[in-house]
This record gives sequence, structure tokens and C-alpha cells, in this order.
Amino acid sequence: MTAASFVQAGLNGLILGLIYVAIAIGLTIIFGMLRLVNFAHGAFYAIGAYVGLVVAQQYGFGYALLAGPLVVALFAVFLDRAVLRFFYGKEPTAQILLTFGIAIIVEETLRLRFGGTTQQYSLPQWLNGSLAVAGLQYPAYRIFLALGIVAVVALVWLFISRTNYGLIVRAGVRDRTMVQLLGGNIHQASTLIFALGAALAGLVGVAASPIYSIDPQTGFNFLIPSFVVVVIGGLGSFWGAVAGGIIVGELSALTTLIYPGAAEVIIYVAMAIVLLVRPQGLLGESEIIRG
Amino acid sequence: MNKQLSRGRFLAASAAAGALAVNGFPQVMAATKEIVVGLDLPQSGPYSDQGQDQLRAYNLAIDEINKGGGIMGMPVRATVGDDQTKADVAVDNARRMIERDGAVMITGGSSTGTAVAVSGLCQQMKTIFMATLTHGDETTDGACHKHTFRRYNNAHMSARAMATTLTKKYGTGNWFYITADYTWGHSVTDNIISVIEPKGAKTVNNVLLKLGTTDFSQALGQAQSAKPDVLCITEFGKDMVNCLNQAAQFGLTKSTKILVPLADEYMAKGTGDNFDNVVCTAPFYYKYYAAKNAAAKKFVDAFTAKYGTPPSNGAECAYTNMYQYKGAVERAGSINPDAVIAKLEGYHFTATKGPEYWRDWDHQGISSVLVMEGVPVAERGGDTFAFAKVLEEHNGETVAIPQADSKCKIESA
Repeated sequence: MTAASFVQAGLNGLILGLIYVAIAIGLTIIFGMLRLVNFAHGAFYAIGAYVGLVVAQQYGFGYALLAGPLVVALFAVFLDRAVLRFFYGKEPTAQILLTFGIAIIVEETLRLRFGGTTQQYSLPQWLNGSLAVAGLQYPAYRIFLALGIVAVVALVWLFISRTNYGLIVRAGVRDRTMVQLLGGNIHQASTLIFALGAALAGLVGVAASPIYSIDPQTGFNFLIPSFVVVVIGGLGSFWGAVAGGIIVGELSALTTLIYPGAAEVIIYVAMAIVLLVRPQGLLGESEIIRG
Repeated sequence: MNKQLSRGRFLAASAAAGALAVNGFPQVMAATKEIVVGLDLPQSGPYSDQGQDQLRAYNLAIDEINKGGGIMGMPVRATVGDDQTKADVAVDNARRMIERDGAVMITGGSSTGTAVAVSGLCQQMKTIFMATLTHGDETTDGACHKHTFRRYNNAHMSARAMATTLTKKYGTGNWFYITADYTWGHSVTDNIISVIEPKGAKTVNNVLLKLGTTDFSQALGQAQSAKPDVLCITEFGKDMVNCLNQAAQFGLTKSTKILVPLADEYMAKGTGDNFDNVVCTAPFYYKYYAAKNAAAKKFVDAFTAKYGTPPSNGAECAYTNMYQYKGAVERAGSINPDAVIAKLEGYHFTATKGPEYWRDWDHQGISSVLVMEGVPVAERGGDTFAFAKVLEEHNGETVAIPQADSKCKIESA
């Protein structure tokens, strides 16, 4: 095991971690704002991936990156207004059953429309090569993906921490009733946050699909690790999701290098330890979306 | 009281019917019964593309058979289970099919892991298992059973068939393996190594990855820094698609010769141009055999007309397995497993390939092995499945495990 292979593993872990971060941020802000445990989050990823696939084949990959999240956001608004708002603040079991049901409906709909077989994105040629990074030849696309996620995460953070809308969101996380009494439109903000979180998953669905092939079950592959990320980072915490994502990504990658047999289980071990030592998660509760 | 009586009469009648059946009046059953077959195959998980295509082929075969009067006048009914490419699920499915649905034959599957497990159960339950897409040696070698038949080529056959191409095209330099970490992967990689190392090739690394791996960057990074002459990807289904496409993003398809010991149409479609120039083996290729064999053409045309895509090689095996079972039952005049087994063992036939037969001592089907080379999408003539040109067709007999080297001991019952 050379130093180069550790650098390689570190880089792999970082990129995998950033993918988890982008998905988990959506999960965590939705939980923070809507108090909704969203098991349909993986379905948003899958819808984004399939919409992106269709658009990429017709108009190119760039448009897919716009269309994927847009369609998912619209779907999320519809879902929120039509169904989910009746379940805000209800017991988590009802929410989990509902959102899990939605996820299954989405999966089966995708299967009906696109078939169950594996689909593959093809990248523009200029993104398909490799770049020299830290003395390694690394796939160019993964580097762009990582930089793109960092930029998107920064934008989401600016939105939440610097805009008036973000203020309502942050206040809503603290006390929904008070925001309403003060005249803030909490329903609109909730819908917006739900759409934003969903759009993030949809965006990753498009952006990660040139690496991971897609099929109707794709979303579930990312759903469970993303929940692990949120639990490790702390439910509802923005920076918790960021920290948790990187930790989970690096743990998986380094374990794959050192002892591949445990790579699958290590993230659950980490989650168990965090739950034992710090049940609220690393950056949990006390600083929900405050930073 | 009345109820008691009628129950007693019913039992007596059943016993009489049973006695008649045992005493050689299968037509008594034929009037009332149907033949239930259990299709135990993956419809989800990494090998689901292959499982779904098998299901299409089984449905086609069963439709045809039923339109032609069924098997000995009995209609065939399928009971289907998604094995998720997991051995325990596959075994649960098979048990349910046999015990609850009354399946007299289990077939399908896309993994040697599930095949070996289902084979063990079918042996216990004295039910015939026509294994389909299983390529690891074990199914008809160390883990062979009296009730299991496997027509698909195995890893030993693939490696021997490729031997000349491997030394000529890939050479005896440094070989790097990425291997699916279960029975099949080990079987294939071991076989390739046993063919190529005696010629002078060196194994620089063999990275074992669990079934269902989606991110191959760690193994591919290691391959990249090892700078091997050959990268052998012993992965299947979606796993292979992900691995090869990611290898291309790592620049490995340009810097290294890639070998994929076993591939099918779905994998070639999923990898597109990355499959260009890659060598693989397969037991069947619809374009090749449809041009050579009228029965193959009839099957390929019927399949394509019904489903809009040509059959993959696993689908062909599924289709032929169904007909092989039908033929054996009809020759035996019975669905009794011992009688059917006796009619399969050593049976010679020509279906959708060339002449082939079932070996009686390990129940391996001996049929030809194709060595193929991928072509770019632009040369596929608009059909993404038309992925390769056939380099060589090997007689199965010359590449199969000889009895002296086999670990198979078929049970007497």
C-alpha cells in the first residue's frame, strides 16, 4: 500500500462524500423546516436521473443539468401541496409510510415508462478524459462534479443564511407558530424548501449518472447512506450534513483500500458509535441551520 | 357425519387416482393436471437485466408450448419469483414454488451463487433444476447434483476457448484482475490465470469486490498506478457496465487492453463504445446463430417480434431449457424426476446452435463456445445489441472439464 494509493483513496472518498453531501443537505433541510422524514428523497434522485437521460439524449448534457432539477422541483411542489402538507408534524411512522409509498410508486412508474433495464449516460468527449491531480491521473468528470457540488452547496448556504427567505426558513426551524404570528408565510417557505431539497437530489441524479448507471431502483442505493450521513451529522443541521457526508465518503473509501470486506458495514458502525456517544449527531440539534 | 364420510370418500378416490398414476396411467393425470414450472430469476439487483430477459424467453417458450397443446396435453403454468441475485431469496422462492405452487421443475437465475444454493435445495426436494445463466464451474463441478442440469458454458470452457486469443492478442505481460467476490468471479479469474500464467503472464493484483459494487474508483485507481498490460474485468451485469465505463473515465480503456471473460448483449449496450475491441466469450449470439441455424432464426424473430429487442444469450438458454424439459418429459412419458433425468442424461440434440448434448456424469450441457470481439456503436448498424464479431467458435467438447479433472460426483438418488 503506497502513499499514492492513500491519496487516491482520499480523493475517491472526497468525491463520494460530496455526492452524499448534496443529497443529504436536501434531506436535512427538509427535516429541519418541515419536520418531515422524507423516504421519497431517493425517488427525486431517480426522477432527476431519468429526466436528465431523456434531455441529454435530445439536447445534450448541459440542458440535462438544468432540466433534471427543474422537473423534480415542480414534482415536489405538486407533491407537497397535494399530499405531504397534511402530514407535517404528524408522527414519523405515518410520514415514513407515506414517503416510502411515494418512492415505490415513482420506481414502478419509471419501470413502466423506461423499462427495468440499466441505462447509461454518455458524456461529452471533453469530459471523458482524465486530469493530473496530486500526481495521479484522475477522471476529469469526477473533478468537475466535485467542484460543481462545492459551488452548489455554497449557493444553498448563502440562500439560507443571507436572504430574507432564508431568514423565514431559519426562524421556521426554531418556531413555526411564531413565524406565522409575525406574518411570515411559513407554508410558502416550507414548499420552497421542499422543492429546493428535492431539486438538489434531482441535480445529483443527473450529475452522478455518468459515473453510476441508472435503473428504476437507483434512488434507493443513495437513500440509505444519505440517512446515515444525516444521522451522523445531526438531523436538521446543514454543516452536519456536510461533515457527515465527507466522513462517510472517506470512511468507505479508506476501508475499501485497507480492508475491503468491511467497506459496506463501516458506515453503520460509525453511525452506531455516533448514536451511542452523541445521540444528537456531531453537529446536531442545538445549531440547526445556523452555521 | 356427512362431512366425515365425504372426506373419507375423497381420500379413497385420491388414493385410487394416485395408484393409477403410479401404475403407469399418466393420461389419467393429463386430463386434469397442469405442469407448474418455477421461474426463479433476478428482476431486481445487479443482474436484473439478464433475469428480465430470461423471463421474456420463458414466457415466449411457454406460450408456444401451450399453443401447441402443452406438454403431454397438460398446459404449462409459470410461477415467478424475483431472486434479487441473492442466494437465500432464491432458495426461499424455489421452496415456495415447490411446496405451495406445486412446481415440478425450477429454472432460471443469473448467478452461480444463487444456482448452487437452489441446486442444493432442489436435490433435497427431488425437483429438477434447469439452471440458466450460471457460468461458474461449481454448478456442474464441485457442487453438482443429480437433479441439476446446466446448459450454459462454464468458466473452464470460456478460459480454454479464449486461450489462443489471450496469448495472441493480450500477451503474457502483467495482468490486473478486478473480480466479483463470490463463486462465479473466483471461478472465472482462477480459470483465466490457470490458462495464462503457464504461458508466462504475471498477475500483478486481483482486487475482489462484492456483488453490487457501484463505485469501482478504488480498484481502478490501483489498476492505473500498476500500469498493467491487461485489465481483466470479471464482473457481470450492471457491475460490469459500471466498472468498464468508469475504467474509461480513468483512461484505462486507452492505456490498457481490456478483457471481459463473460458478456451479454445488455452489458455491451450499457458500455457502448467502451466495449470496442474488448474480447469476451458467450454461449450464444443471436446475429451469429440466426444466420447459421433456421431454428435459431425462428426463435430470434419470434422474440424480436414479441418484445422489440433481440434475445440476449441468457434468454436463449432459458428458451432452450424450457424445450429441453418438455422433450425429456415427453420421452419419459412422465413428470417423475428420475424418469426425466434418465431421458436428459446423455441426450443429443440440435436446438438453436449446433449439435449438443447433456453429459451424463456431471449434467453439463456440451455446446459450442463463442469467442467474440466488441465493435464500436457506429459499426452496430443501429442495433445496440449487435455488439461484436465472432472470432472463433469452439466445440464445447474440446474445452470442457474432462471427467478425470472434475470434482463432480452425481448422487445415486
